[in-house]
Amino acid sequence: MAEDGATMFKQKCGTCHVKGGQAAPVNPADKAAIVWNKFFQRGRHKVDFSQTIGMDDLQVIVQYLKDHAADSDQPAVAVIPR
Amino acid sequence: MKKVLLTAGALMLWTGTVCAADMVRIPAEDYRAIMKSLDALQKRVVELETNQGTVAPVQAPAARPAPRPAAPMSGSDSAKLDRMADDINNIYDTLDQVETKTLKDRINLGAEYRLRYDSYKYKDLRVTDYSTMPPTPTVHTTENDDSNFTNRFRINMNANISKSLKFHARLAAYHAWGDHDENTVANFYNDGNAVHALGDNGLKIDRFYVDWIPQGFPVPLAITVGRHPSSEGPPTEYKENRKRQSTYPALIFDGEADGIVATLGLERYIGLQNAGLRLAYGKVYRSDTNDTDVSWLDNDNTQDSDIAAAFFESKIPFVPNSLMVFSYAHVFDMPANMIDGEMTDGVILGDLDLFGVHFQASDIAKSGLDLYVSGSINETDPNDDSATNLAFGTSMLALNGAPVANADDVESKTGWSVVAGFRYTMPIKALNNPKLGFEYNHGSKYHFTMTSGANELYNKLATRGDAYELYYIQPVSRHLFFRAGYTHVDYDFTGSGQPAWEPIRLDRLDLDTTMDNIYFLMDVRF
Repeated sequence: MAEDGATMFKQKCGTCHVKGGQAAPVNPADKAAIVWNKFFQRGRHKVDFSQTIGMDDLQVIVQYLKDHAADSDQPAVAVIPR
Repeated sequence: MKKVLLTAGALMLWTGTVCAADMVRIPAEDYRAIMKSLDALQKRVVELETNQGTVAPVQAPAARPAPRPAAPMSGSDSAKLDRMADDINNIYDTLDQVETKTLKDRINLGAEYRLRYDSYKYKDLRVTDYSTMPPTPTVHTTENDDSNFTNRFRINMNANISKSLKFHARLAAYHAWGDHDENTVANFYNDGNAVHALGDNGLKIDRFYVDWIPQGFPVPLAITVGRHPSSEGPPTEYKENRKRQSTYPALIFDGEADGIVATLGLERYIGLQNAGLRLAYGKVYRSDTNDTDVSWLDNDNTQDSDIAAAFFESKIPFVPNSLMVFSYAHVFDMPANMIDGEMTDGVILGDLDLFGVHFQASDIAKSGLDLYVSGSINETDPNDDSATNLAFGTSMLALNGAPVANADDVESKTGWSVVAGFRYTMPIKALNNPKLGFEYNHGSKYHFTMTSGANELYNKLATRGDAYELYYIQPVSRHLFFRAGYTHVDYDFTGSGQPAWEPIRLDRLDLDTTMDNIYFLMDVRF
């Protein structure tokens, strides 16, 4: 699950969130788990990605972000290099 | 005056014009959306401040909703809306950063200070000098001090490191006013420069421990490792006017202890609310060669003393706000060093079994009345293997200072004790609901439990005899309390709180030993 999440995060989010890309690099440890939760719950992503990321995939990605968030046991800080 | 009024009128006109110029007309639907966003922001700030808010799991994360059909508005109105939306997003981003930082700042700090005044008076106090062989008792007909002031300062720390790891610690300083210690650079009036002159770098740690809660374990399990929360246990919290501070009933174990405890949650298996079994291992005493240059080496002459214990606790069935604890502890190879290291080095007193029951209930039938009762039985298994030990008469509860002729003279002894008390919260709101409490405890001839960490100057629960205490708690705020009390102890036997030597009836020594103490304390906690 964690591997799936990491892979999917890099594939889906890393397309835009990459150094020199359309958006700044982002990593799970950028926010605490509860903050990630609120971020997506409130639909705060600045770009509409509903055409590129399906709901099921998004759930997997959000779970991955929370599992490796800043306040998690294993924060992931550089899955996408800055 | 006219000039002032004219100026004020002009100013009002001007500001009105400016406000009118800045006024934006937006559709009601958009206005409601903005207000809703602001409301959500406000709620998040409150959550952040309390640091305990949670939100529902992600239901259906999605990108921003499609924009509504544009309402007729001017270009400047639209620009204003965009700016406001950007502002809100910026505030959200800032909140994200602050909230993330708050959740990463794991250590919470608290502090408490206690000023305590004691005025005690002992009558026929029998004081034993253990530096001689046999120990030399002397009787102080009266011993009193009507100005004993102490300071106690504690720093409390805790951290929810992660879902499965929690950390707790308490640093403490406990000091009698003006008390001069010998081992500082300046030996003259050295309390005045205890921390301003060169000294040791010791920091006293009352407790520090980590709770590890393994995830996915078939039975709810917590492993607690460190210097345990083993002092001020139930029912001490009533008199201390605070939450439970220890997992162990005070009558069985009230002191600082290093060890490992496994706690198994049993509620789901046996149906008793808050049911749990604690299995504990700790070290009461470690023997080492303090007198050599390798001071940490194990001392071959004296064994370590270990303690193994089991505690079962739960709510009392059908009694709300209640607790019952059944305790068993076995102390292995209790050393005489606990009394005096120099004289009794190499002497093992023996083993000790402790059995305990404890019941307490708070706010019974919402009456404001708290009740508790504790009982203990201790049984000794003296060491009779060593002729040397017998010759010195130091086997546990052996004859008083006299050489023991043979092993038969050192036999197992059984003691017991009971504690009972109540606390009543008076429904007087104007006085912040003050509390009145009473405690009584009685210990038999051979009573001995591990209560050396008692909060008072004296070890009341160790009394071989009767002890009474009446106290009054006056809360001022949730941070400030006052307590005043009177304690009377009537000793029946010698050696209260000591595991060795045969207790002697004090009246056979023509002594009527009592202690009376009046105290007053102020607690500040934050």
